[in-house]
Amino acid sequence: MRKLFLVFTLQLCLFSFSQNKQLLYGFSEIPQSLMQNPGGKVKNDWYVGIPLLSHFHVNVGISGSTVYDVFADNDVDFNVKLRNAVNSMEPTDFYGFNQQLEIFSGGFAFGSSFNKNEYISFGMYQELDFLLYFPKDFAVLALEGNQSNINRFFDASDLSVVADVVSVLHIGYNKKVDDKFTFGVRGKIYSSIANVSSTKNKGSFVTVPGENNVYNHIFDLDLALQTSGIASLIDDENSDVSNDVDVLKKRVLFGGNLGLGVDFGFTYQLTDQWSFDASLLDVGFISHTKDVENYAINGQYTYNGVNPLFSPADDGQTADDYWSEIEEDFEDIFTVDTTATKYTKWRPVKFNASLNYAFGKKQSQYCNCAVDDSDYLNAVGLQLYGISRPKRPQMALTAYYYRHVFNGLRLKAAYTIDSYSFNNLGLGMSAHIWGANFYVMADNLLQYKNVYDAQSVSLQLGFNYIFNKK
Amino acid sequence: MIKSIKFKISLLLCIGFMVMSCTEAIDFDQADDIILTPALEASLVYFDEPASRFVDNGSTILSIQDFISVAFFNDEFVVDNVEKAEFVFETQNTINRTFELQVDFLDQAGNLQHSLTVREDAAPDNTDTVTTYTEVFEGNSLSALKRTVTIVFTMRLLPGAPLDEDTVGRIQYKSYAAFYINLNK
Repeated sequence: MRKLFLVFTLQLCLFSFSQNKQLLYGFSEIPQSLMQNPGGKVKNDWYVGIPLLSHFHVNVGISGSTVYDVFADNDVDFNVKLRNAVNSMEPTDFYGFNQQLEIFSGGFAFGSSFNKNEYISFGMYQELDFLLYFPKDFAVLALEGNQSNINRFFDASDLSVVADVVSVLHIGYNKKVDDKFTFGVRGKIYSSIANVSSTKNKGSFVTVPGENNVYNHIFDLDLALQTSGIASLIDDENSDVSNDVDVLKKRVLFGGNLGLGVDFGFTYQLTDQWSFDASLLDVGFISHTKDVENYAINGQYTYNGVNPLFSPADDGQTADDYWSEIEEDFEDIFTVDTTATKYTKWRPVKFNASLNYAFGKKQSQYCNCAVDDSDYLNAVGLQLYGISRPKRPQMALTAYYYRHVFNGLRLKAAYTIDSYSFNNLGLGMSAHIWGANFYVMADNLLQYKNVYDAQSVSLQLGFNYIFNKK
Repeated sequence: MIKSIKFKISLLLCIGFMVMSCTEAIDFDQADDIILTPALEASLVYFDEPASRFVDNGSTILSIQDFISVAFFNDEFVVDNVEKAEFVFETQNTINRTFELQVDFLDQAGNLQHSLTVREDAAPDNTDTVTTYTEVFEGNSLSALKRTVTIVFTMRLLPGAPLDEDTVGRIQYKSYAAFYINLNK
């Protein structure tokens, strides 16, 4: 157990960045920035990502209590810390994990030889997304029971979880229409490797003082869990893992449940120095038709005990018959119904927008003046990010400073306010040596002084080979 | 040349910043100390009957008996995790006769494992307040409860003035069980 946490922590230290890639967004020297805005500026003639190394991304996020809050090695009793954590958290607090790995990617410009203003980019990546909302009422019921919670409604909708593993094949088109306007669009084919979703739970359990007896226990439950790609792995007769691995490989290569999606984006140059851009990503769905197994618990029932001596039915019903009926009613509610009904899931849509101001041109070596044709060396801007999630969208606002240090090195520092924290400071850099490009970015640097107390840590890195314009 | 040194320094700084993450003392072994002790309450038996209910063809019914079969107390979860149980009866009697509810707990073989009796005194002036009776199951009595598969309920009227259709008053029993669960490992 301890080792597992160590490995986990090590990963947090080494790899960190959120599904919000605020450092990558708009970082146009890095070809993968086109994945954040297909209509972003393109600054290379062609590029190829180093297979499996061109883009790696991990984000772990916890809103509410941190690992440190619960596991700190101090004099406070563990159970007290645990209860404090549970009490302080809300059902909208969540645990999130997102990971992406680019398998291959590339891109090239085309058009007339003197003005290659169109660009095709393509690739394939694998993505894992996990989001669990803190099931507060379930936790309170497990910790305390109903004895100290008479009249409290335990809300079944507190349970909300999604887990998703997909591979995505994509191709994007980008066109710089004129000096002011660039747009882009990217088509995606999703192949779902596995999906688990339980996001539309409803109902409640409550114990209230009763008329006939001390308590009425009112059950009103409508819980559902949908899965695809899981049942065949669990149910298969063989325990041979290599068979399962073969199955998974096929699914990566479009043997899974398929879906379609599209990304849109544009950049508009307002003036020489001001620009505005925006993108909408993963507008799409996956249709889960193969290897589907769904589970449901459904029903209403009020239990207030049993009248063993004076049956209310008054037709000679024995106490035991009466009790058996109650047992059956309970079974009816709590028996899990299993179905194989197909279902369709929308992808979590992401929205990005930014307003940017570039300034400070390179000074000429020969006169006290700026080099005319060069790009601006600095930029500042504001970025807005949003993602649709089961309970409510998650938003983030970023202020950034970008600096072209010299041709081989560009830096970007960002300050972000999001669901996790108000003090997220991130740093990204992109190094270019001849054609080789290495980039790495991490956010929440302030929290690295005690990673266990971090609410979110994430990282992106990758290697490309880039052939630049000019 | 200068560029390359600047580059190397920057790169070192970046990497250094990322590697310099620290931790404060954390003890994950504390998870072994976890104690989950939910307390559940659930309604049990009840009835609420007028005095006339105990009159049959002009004569007083002196006892009523029935039983239920319950699998609940043998359930593996209950056997493993319930460390104490309480049956709480809230009774009220405005009839001028003393009532007794006897509850017998029988195992699979029909042998008596435990028995409790909740007595409600007669009410000569037909008024009464709610009386609470608590039976605690711990140690041997808890083991007896966990062996129980049949519960026999016997209602008795102790000797007193005969009842008829016009006798005033009601006899009321309500009850619930509290289960104290301990899920620590």
